[in-house]
Amino acid sequence: MIEVGENILFYLPAVPLGTALLAFGIRSRRMVEVVHFAGISSVALLSLLLVQYVLRGQTLLALDGMLYADGLTALLVLIIGVVGFLDGFYSIGYLRHDLAQGQVDAKGACFYYGFYHLLLLTMVLAAISNNIAIMWVAIEATTLGSAFLVGFYKHKTAAEAVWKYVLICSVGLAFALYGTILTYSSAFAVVQDAHRAMLWTELVGMARGLDPQVMKLAFVFILIGYGAKVGLVPMHTWLPDTYSEAPSPVSALLSGVLMKCVLFGILRYYPITLQAVGKEFPQTLLLIFGLLSVGVAAFFILVQNDIKRKLAYSSVEHVGIIATGLGAGGPLGILAALFHVINHSLTKSLLFCTVGNVARKYGTRDAQKIRGMLKVAPFTGFMFMAGLLAVVGAPPFSIFVSEFMTLAAGLQGGYFWPMILFLVLLVIVFVAFIILISDTVLGFPPEDLPRGDAGWLCLLPLGILFLLMAGLGIHVPAPLNQLLQGAVSVVLGGK
Amino acid sequence: MIWYALGSILLPVLGSPLVLFLPERHVKKASQIFSFLAFTSGLLLLIAFAFNRASFTRELVTLNGINYYGVTIDTLSVLVNFMVVFLGWLICTYSAGYMSPDNKEHPIKEGVPRFYALMLLFIGSMAGVVFSSTLLGLLFFFEMTGLCSWGLIGFYGDQKSRNSALWAIILTHTAALGLYVATAYLYVNTGSFSVTALNKLTDAGKTIAFTGILIACWGKSAQLPFHPWLPRAMVAPTPVSAYLHAASMVKVGVYIFARTVLATGSVPQVIGQAGAIMAVVTMIYGFIMYFPQDDMKRLLAYSTITQLSYIFLAISISIYGSRMAFNGAVAHIFNHAFAKGLFFLVAGTLSYTTGTRLLSRLKGILNKIPVVGLGYIAAAMAIAGVPPFNGFFSKFMIIISGFEIGRHYPLILALIIVTVIESVGSFIWFLKWMGANVLGAPSEVVASAAEPPLAIKFVLAVLMIMTLISQYIVLFLLS
Repeated sequence: MIEVGENILFYLPAVPLGTALLAFGIRSRRMVEVVHFAGISSVALLSLLLVQYVLRGQTLLALDGMLYADGLTALLVLIIGVVGFLDGFYSIGYLRHDLAQGQVDAKGACFYYGFYHLLLLTMVLAAISNNIAIMWVAIEATTLGSAFLVGFYKHKTAAEAVWKYVLICSVGLAFALYGTILTYSSAFAVVQDAHRAMLWTELVGMARGLDPQVMKLAFVFILIGYGAKVGLVPMHTWLPDTYSEAPSPVSALLSGVLMKCVLFGILRYYPITLQAVGKEFPQTLLLIFGLLSVGVAAFFILVQNDIKRKLAYSSVEHVGIIATGLGAGGPLGILAALFHVINHSLTKSLLFCTVGNVARKYGTRDAQKIRGMLKVAPFTGFMFMAGLLAVVGAPPFSIFVSEFMTLAAGLQGGYFWPMILFLVLLVIVFVAFIILISDTVLGFPPEDLPRGDAGWLCLLPLGILFLLMAGLGIHVPAPLNQLLQGAVSVVLGGK
Repeated sequence: MIWYALGSILLPVLGSPLVLFLPERHVKKASQIFSFLAFTSGLLLLIAFAFNRASFTRELVTLNGINYYGVTIDTLSVLVNFMVVFLGWLICTYSAGYMSPDNKEHPIKEGVPRFYALMLLFIGSMAGVVFSSTLLGLLFFFEMTGLCSWGLIGFYGDQKSRNSALWAIILTHTAALGLYVATAYLYVNTGSFSVTALNKLTDAGKTIAFTGILIACWGKSAQLPFHPWLPRAMVAPTPVSAYLHAASMVKVGVYIFARTVLATGSVPQVIGQAGAIMAVVTMIYGFIMYFPQDDMKRLLAYSTITQLSYIFLAISISIYGSRMAFNGAVAHIFNHAFAKGLFFLVAGTLSYTTGTRLLSRLKGILNKIPVVGLGYIAAAMAIAGVPPFNGFFSKFMIIISGFEIGRHYPLILALIIVTVIESVGSFIWFLKWMGANVLGAPSEVVASAAEPPLAIKFVLAVLMIMTLISQYIVLFLLS
């Protein structure tokens, strides 16, 4: 094993930055694919390396405490590395199709890969920054980086979606900035040191001394601000447009990884608020936002016709489930939420990538027109079915486990009726997606549609995601378990 | 012994993805081999258990000190598992004949690997339910069987089958919420998923947990108000109906109820009351619905609903302290599976050979296709509870124990009297159809019937024997 120590905190952002610059400079399709693949593989390997350090019990600090990695960081970096790799892998096959069709030229592809890595860079920065202001900047930067990817096809509808996305998320992030400043000012009043009052590690240590009133306000701002970007209801309105207009692998990255980065922004404030104002306030707030998101999304999932919009609303629903888990609180609730974060990343990435194949095959995303997927494209159809079953929490897939844990945590927290409501809402989602499978995957395809699946480049990443998703439902490997437990104690106590 | 139990679960589960990737011509063979191996495991377990009678529980999946899944070997699980894998194998064998282009009602030309993959997964999941020592395991496999049944009921793929399949999965999943709540509630209050942990709950806690369990069981066993999925599910290929809607899927409900009641020393009587009342209400409803049915399979579906009510009633009575009622329930789970499985397969053979299963068009079956006629007689007599067929023994145990408990509880007495009346009524109704369909000169469709394949005849013969002897297996193990 190579010993890189805390230098890994420099390598992690440096690799995507270098890859992005290279990609922007290249004009050949073949070259840029090689560079891209090397880039995503290196980030994935570095993320595994970081996880290994953290599992050994190390917390890494670098650059005068500005960069930091603990259990929670490692979990997020793992998601960025692994899911980012798989989505990036899928992008290769996806873009080759566009190139072959002439929709995109080699320059466009280089542009795509460049921004892909810029987005990875900003996400990694958001994950490893210990300075709450830098974290805010990084999260804001993810909006800009991803905006280019969302509007990649330059359609009119895509432009509108990007506009909505940037506008709402930026307004939201302005709220988060207030929250950040409030936290800073209340910390500054305690330590009288501008540098220390910015560092998360310091904030957690002094959280008990912070002004509870100010911190309540700060948490509300943070929750609304970052909440807008993760898509909590009622700040979610940009999300369905953005997710459905973006190229499929980008939707997968947005829902699977970016959303989690922003969510971890909220999670960083959770232990501070917990200690400053007690658990009642943040938990109630999260529970309300959580159930509201699940509830509103459930009905929208039922009535949408565009399968990508359905999946987008499903992302809102799952953010709601994660928030419900956090709201239920306690070690079990936090564990449920964090495990759900992993499961949702894998499952939603699988689904969005699959939809990429489906939409190309049928030339539409309209659920009323797609029929008999299992007969037309068996592998894609099977993956779509498995992904949808997983997303509604059917065993043996991993979301079954984390949803069940959320339920148990809620009952443990004494929220009996809210949890019954939660279950009823989940049944609505279940019904919506089961009907979708019944209509689109099963049954008989249109006569004139040629049979045949997408190329292996567009299938292999799906297979890997499927195996991960199904595997975690049956068995959680010991290192991941340890990592999760570590992350839970970070969220609960900041250690 | 633990390996025999795991064999029953894992062999079919492993076989399931395998048949999807095999060349189509090997699929039927392979699925028969896998289901036969599972059956062998079940049979060996039955024999081993009959000799040493050692009940035990082994924890298998444990994480962070919490047991998530374990295997319980006792009379209940050994018996029911034997039924599950035995019928599973018989149905796979029968399907080898039935799922063919020669089928008059539904010529099958494609989808055979999908059928067997789901069927094998179903057998494994059923065994998973049966052996589970934890509520979480029960819930997990409960949902797995639901998913498989969805694929199997909607097998033909037309709009009607797909809608019927939706009914099945949506209703049973909705009911399953009860089990979700019960499982989470148990875990939160006792820190364990083990079924035996139900004992540690307070009486109020037990009532909450058992209410949830009962709701889930009603859903899966097609009791009021969750029953509408079962008659609709009759669009499934008949081997599927024979397996899911006679032997396995609908038995998940009663099995979970039996397992949890058995594991809990004292269940609040209010659960017994609710269970018994709903059982008899369902029984009356199912009985009334016999009369308008002309489709043989739909008649059988309603008959299944009422027979499951008998089992619910018996388990509910056992909550009042009757060991015999519980044994009667176990015996009825076992006996009914063979009798109703046979009945469905008779219906299937009739549609295979004649192309119809409308009761009014079938006459003189015995004359034209004797093996089917004899099967019809055996199945009808067993379901109606006529000695020496197996249904008589279990129904007798249930009714006798009902009268015994009824001496102290007027409610139970009233319910058991209704049950006796229903029993007589359904006897008359089945006798009527048996006379009309089996005896006499063949009607036009029956006269033109083709000869059923050997696989089908073999399975019918085995099941006929089982309707005569299955009760002795139960009685021997329960003794």
